[in-house]
Amino acid sequence: MPKTLLFVVVPLLSYGFWLSDEFKGIAAGIAIFIFGMLSLEQGFKAFTGGMLERILQKTTDTIWKSLSFGIVSTTLMQSSTLVSIITISFLSAGLLDLAAGIGIIFGANLGSTTGAWLIAGLGLKVKISTYAMPMLVFGVLCSFQNDKQLKGIGYILTGLGFLFLGIHFMKESFETFENTVKLADYAMPGLKGLLIYTLIGIIATMIMQSSHATLVLIITALSVHQITYDNALALAIGSNIGTTFTAIIGSLSANVQGKRLAGAHLLFNLLTGIIALIFIREFIIAVDRIDAALGIAVTDNTLKLATFHSLFNLVGVAVMLPFVNHLVALLEKIFAEKRPNLFRPKYLNPSAIGFPETAAESVRLETIHLYDHGIHIILHAFGLRKRSLSDQSDLKQLIKQNNDLVEYDIDAGYEKRIKGIYSAIIAFIGQANSAWEMKQSPNLALLRDANRTLVEAIKDTKHLQKNWARSRTSKNQATIDEYKKIAYQIVSLIQQIEQFRREIAENELPLLSLDVLKAMIEDEDMRMNRSIDTLIRERKITPETGSSLINDSTYMYNIKKNLIKTAETLFVNDNINAIYIEQQLALNEVEIKEVVQAVDAPITDNP
Amino acid sequence: MNKEKLLHKLQAFFDPAQKRKKRHREELKKILKSLKKKERKISDKIEQADDECLKKLYQTELEIIRLQRKKGIDVLQQLRENKDSTD
Repeated sequence: MPKTLLFVVVPLLSYGFWLSDEFKGIAAGIAIFIFGMLSLEQGFKAFTGGMLERILQKTTDTIWKSLSFGIVSTTLMQSSTLVSIITISFLSAGLLDLAAGIGIIFGANLGSTTGAWLIAGLGLKVKISTYAMPMLVFGVLCSFQNDKQLKGIGYILTGLGFLFLGIHFMKESFETFENTVKLADYAMPGLKGLLIYTLIGIIATMIMQSSHATLVLIITALSVHQITYDNALALAIGSNIGTTFTAIIGSLSANVQGKRLAGAHLLFNLLTGIIALIFIREFIIAVDRIDAALGIAVTDNTLKLATFHSLFNLVGVAVMLPFVNHLVALLEKIFAEKRPNLFRPKYLNPSAIGFPETAAESVRLETIHLYDHGIHIILHAFGLRKRSLSDQSDLKQLIKQNNDLVEYDIDAGYEKRIKGIYSAIIAFIGQANSAWEMKQSPNLALLRDANRTLVEAIKDTKHLQKNWARSRTSKNQATIDEYKKIAYQIVSLIQQIEQFRREIAENELPLLSLDVLKAMIEDEDMRMNRSIDTLIRERKITPETGSSLINDSTYMYNIKKNLIKTAETLFVNDNINAIYIEQQLALNEVEIKEVVQAVDAPITDNP
Repeated sequence: MNKEKLLHKLQAFFDPAQKRKKRHREELKKILKSLKKKERKISDKIEQADDECLKKLYQTELEIIRLQRKKGIDVLQQLRENKDSTD
């Protein structure tokens, strides 16, 4: 929901709550219901990656199996609404594909007709709201467990509990309304009666959130001759359409797949309803013949209604089933998936693959493009922008004063800025390698490594970000200082790489000058570990905080090393011959460590 | 210059591998010269620096350059030895 809409909705709802208690109850019911949906979805996610997929896959891999799954589950649960909203949450969690989901929904419609038989034949009705309280209690108990699956069961039970409770609230609040609906007073013959009673059936089911509840009303009214048989049929058609409303509410919190399924549910029930309305006479004749064959008395209108309910849903399934794939295509078109505004490669041109040097240069430029996006993400993770890097004295201040507690979403940043370009680079290198088998391959291998090290740096930043964000609300000054030091050291290295990049043309020995930055990384690592040890020893931080700091300083060390490695490949490339000689002179890791240990002194002044 | 020595010089002049090695030596000498220049500059900076932290930073840089130079001199020595053995 857009933020601006909130300013309209909140006052409107508040006014409504002040005006009517029933309205408050209905709104609370919907809110609890949607919360239940979210909890249910979270619960099902706990079972992804294993058993649940296998069960669902085996039971829904063909349209007939999905259909049967829908029939059986709805017959057992006695609620097509529940099955459809559970299916929406399955689909949102990625456990089902849309075609299987549609099959289940079709099956659920058929399964729900067993309810009419039970009500009409046995007078039975499962009252789902009575399960809400124990489900919530057991659900919350399970969700406190550490075991992932038990936690998942907890969320599912809590979700179901809230769903039932939500429906219960809505029903309770509409009790006044329900009591005022005296169907017997409004009996109407002919087409007018058919259409008006269908509409009443739709509205009544939408309000009561259950086609079962409407069917109870219809069957009761019919059994005492309060309504005519024709009007009862129209009400049943209406209840079938009205029941989709719950699924539509359920899909509000679901992703686009969930919305597609709710769309399929609505389309199916609407179309089935229209077929039933158009061929109502033929259906009545067919019901009479079937009931005669089944030995049901001509005067037993309630069982005839149950037959009608089953028959028109069966016809709907028979008509729609061959067009499932078309339905999927149509829904995918209506509910198009919004693709995030992804960054695309700028320099990779397929025609360059034929020219090894051009191709290698394209990959280098594209990797620099990727590097810039990577730096954007890393800086944002610490609440900074690239323009912050222009002045060193400001940098320390910026980190100290940075109180922006909004956590940057690195995963979203990665999806938007890195994934598309990175995948394109990897695909391009793969194509180039298979096309040439030639001398540029080592260059490409280095560039592939540069891509990999950059992505590793971003992923390590993600691991580090959690504790960095937490540290900012810490009451322990030593912890805050250490995390600020971590942020400063990473950002400061990025700043120095940027400076190195800008001044590369004037740098006589670019590669060798990077050894100083590498030494700085080793020195900072050594000092950081020493500092953490001292803080633990002096009890300025707890050993738990110390262990987190040790882990995070390792992330920092890896981020910096990976950034240097990437920069080395990307920015030092002009004079190949000179670079080859510089490589011979450049110090290796052991030599750098030896130098740092020999000097054993702080290199930079940290905040 | 006797005929044999002249022949060697001519052969070396037309041999691409020899030419490449010579260019390598020259590049290396240039780099060593740059390193020497840098070393002097850093030494001066150390002398002028008042801040202890900065001094130690330069010290590390100096040690790195010294080690790089040492490695370069070793490589040059090896290249010269190879050259002498082929002459």
